[in-house]
Amino acid sequence: MIEILKEATIGSIESVYSIAIIIIPIMLILQILKDYKILDKITGPFHFLAKLFKTSNETVLPLLVGIIFGLSYGAGVIIQSAKEGNLNKRDLFLITVFLATCHAVFEDTLLFVAVGANGYLLLGTRLVAAFVLTYILSRKLSLNNFKEETIDEVDQSI
Amino acid sequence: MMLINSVKTGLKKGFETTWMLAKIIIPVYFVVTFLKYTPIIDGIAVIFRPVMAIFNLPGEAAIILVLGNVLNLYAAIGAITAIELTSLEITTIAMMLSFSHSLLVETAVSKKLGISGLQVILIRIGLAVISGMIIGRIGALI
Repeated sequence: MIEILKEATIGSIESVYSIAIIIIPIMLILQILKDYKILDKITGPFHFLAKLFKTSNETVLPLLVGIIFGLSYGAGVIIQSAKEGNLNKRDLFLITVFLATCHAVFEDTLLFVAVGANGYLLLGTRLVAAFVLTYILSRKLSLNNFKEETIDEVDQSI
Repeated sequence: MMLINSVKTGLKKGFETTWMLAKIIIPVYFVVTFLKYTPIIDGIAVIFRPVMAIFNLPGEAAIILVLGNVLNLYAAIGAITAIELTSLEITTIAMMLSFSHSLLVETAVSKKLGISGLQVILIRIGLAVISGMIIGRIGALI
């Protein structure tokens, strides 16, 4: 029992540490790029994603971070953007659907390639599924679908 | 001066985000570690053994899928190397697991973003099942 507790304690600290050594530099670099107005130039070419899903341009950065680094890191950037008030509920829902389906594409794909799977097939299917699913949902959902929740929240805060 | 401010804000955001994720990941990690030492995982695998035929996979593959979904991809990779599989079987398993893995940790993180855990799990398992059936079946014809 004590052994299991020890393993859980050490393991969870290690996994938080491995997140910290990635997320802190990401946040640091993103902040510098943002303040020096370089970030817009990098995310600019990917604004077609926001157009495609009819979301705000602020969804592009968390999408890119999540696709490249992983769900947790993407979530970190999403929550920071949400705090700054740039994302509405529909935006949040759609990026979460996309990233739940497709994230950490390099790490996840290479892991399986290492044991003999076809990487192109894996990555291709995952990307296509994420695009198709998010696109369909983006056409079905308007902000009105999320209004009730927002009203509830306002009620609670009052 | 501007750089110093950027560094300060960036580091603050980094630590905040790490803390926010730590609060989600640490409790789930404890649950997952305890689960690993109970017969629950083997039990789930036994239940899913007969279902593996749908994906054209041997019954042993159930343990790989359960490990990947309950624990994480690294646990599943360990199990893949321990069981003899054809390259088609490995691709089928890899496809299913890349849609659906680490469900306990990742669902906890997704819930933080205002989407219900059940929705995330249904989408991911749904995609895993559909892709597994397609690859397992079509691959067997080629």
